[in-house]
Amino acid sequence: MRKYAWPVVSLVVAAGIQGNLPAGMSLMGAKPDLVLVVLIAYSLAADPIAGAGLGFVAGLVHGAAVGLGMGSFIVTRTITGFLAGFATTRVFSDNPVVPVLSAAWLTAVCEGLFLLANPRVPLAHAGRVVLGECIYNAGLTLLLYWLLRALETRRKIKLADARI
Amino acid sequence: MSIPRNRTALYLAGLLILGTFIGIAHNRALDAGRPFVVRDAVQLVLTPVNTASRRVFALGEWLVRFIRPRGSILRENARLRREVRMLTEENARLAEAAEENVRLRTSLGLKRNVPLETVAAEVISRKASSWFDTLTIDRGRRAGITKGAAVVNFRGLVGQVVESDLMSSQVVAITDPTSAVGAMVRRSRSSGILQGQGSGYLALTYLPKDADVSESDIVVTSGMGRVIPKGFVIGRVVRVMRSSAAGSTTALVRPSVRLDEIEEVFVVKQGAARGRQ
Repeated sequence: MRKYAWPVVSLVVAAGIQGNLPAGMSLMGAKPDLVLVVLIAYSLAADPIAGAGLGFVAGLVHGAAVGLGMGSFIVTRTITGFLAGFATTRVFSDNPVVPVLSAAWLTAVCEGLFLLANPRVPLAHAGRVVLGECIYNAGLTLLLYWLLRALETRRKIKLADARI
Repeated sequence: MSIPRNRTALYLAGLLILGTFIGIAHNRALDAGRPFVVRDAVQLVLTPVNTASRRVFALGEWLVRFIRPRGSILRENARLRREVRMLTEENARLAEAAEENVRLRTSLGLKRNVPLETVAAEVISRKASSWFDTLTIDRGRRAGITKGAAVVNFRGLVGQVVESDLMSSQVVAITDPTSAVGAMVRRSRSSGILQGQGSGYLALTYLPKDADVSESDIVVTSGMGRVIPKGFVIGRVVRVMRSSAAGSTTALVRPSVRLDEIEEVFVVKQGAARGRQ
């Protein structure tokens, strides 16, 4: 249970920051989805069960922050976390292209599913926003994923040193 | 080998079903205007994080302003002085018009407008998702804020409270596709329904085919529905589309309030809004 504490805290902090991102950050009408970035980065390093669990929490937190569409947030984020965890166990490699591409397609799938459940905006506008979000999320996921990998490696080295 | 896979599938299905139930329960609570305990609990943790994040970003903005070159500060100063002069003149004109209005209403025996009772609030989160134009403000049920209350700022109508918990409230902006407000053209008094388009613009619909509306007209709230008080500025008409087939006119409106720039708002208490009609 302790290993989920940091991801959950990170999701809550990401949701807090998400609502205060400056307007100038907008790319094609989209800002990065920090909650989704945190979810994907952690889930890529986890198994499908943990990914789905984190996705559930991410959806709950993000849905509560937005105040509308809570069910859609939970369902789409749970599926995204599951898929991210599944991708890790099946196709993951150390190549940096993999987290970038994973974040991009996972964002597209997540937002696509969300828009299927909530057809809210014109298709062309939605397409632009999803594309902008994919680009942002891919870049940020790479940074966060590398940071998490570095922390994990350091932790493992410390553990090995302690054993010696 | 098949047992763990089944367990994973069951776990995923369980989470999805639970998520769906939470969503349905939340929607029902929203419709009934009653608090939803799951969201209230999450919001209890989120509100301090949102507030802290707002403070950090505000400090960042202040620092950026502080280290700006002197030239741009002087330019801004000159612009603000011009604005103050303009507003002072406008204020004097409006004060005179208000006095005249009271005098005329008294002589005609009309009911006087009840002054609005408002609660000041700070925006602690805005547009937390690309698909929803919502805001979170730092005042909730404890401050007497209830579902449906109108939210305004000095530029005009911002939106409506959709849900409030103890410490905070969720506001749906007028630009959100779920938002619909009774509105009219200030010049001609042609009234219709103003709907959010999700792309930053609003559509004034259900106007008659020959409605007197043209570009640059100012659109204000009509007070229909007795929820949002009459006369709040909403925005300016940027395009008029007349359809002879449908026999109606639609006006595209640019809102006067920019969601990204809102920092403080006033929530109009429900009873006050009804008294003003």
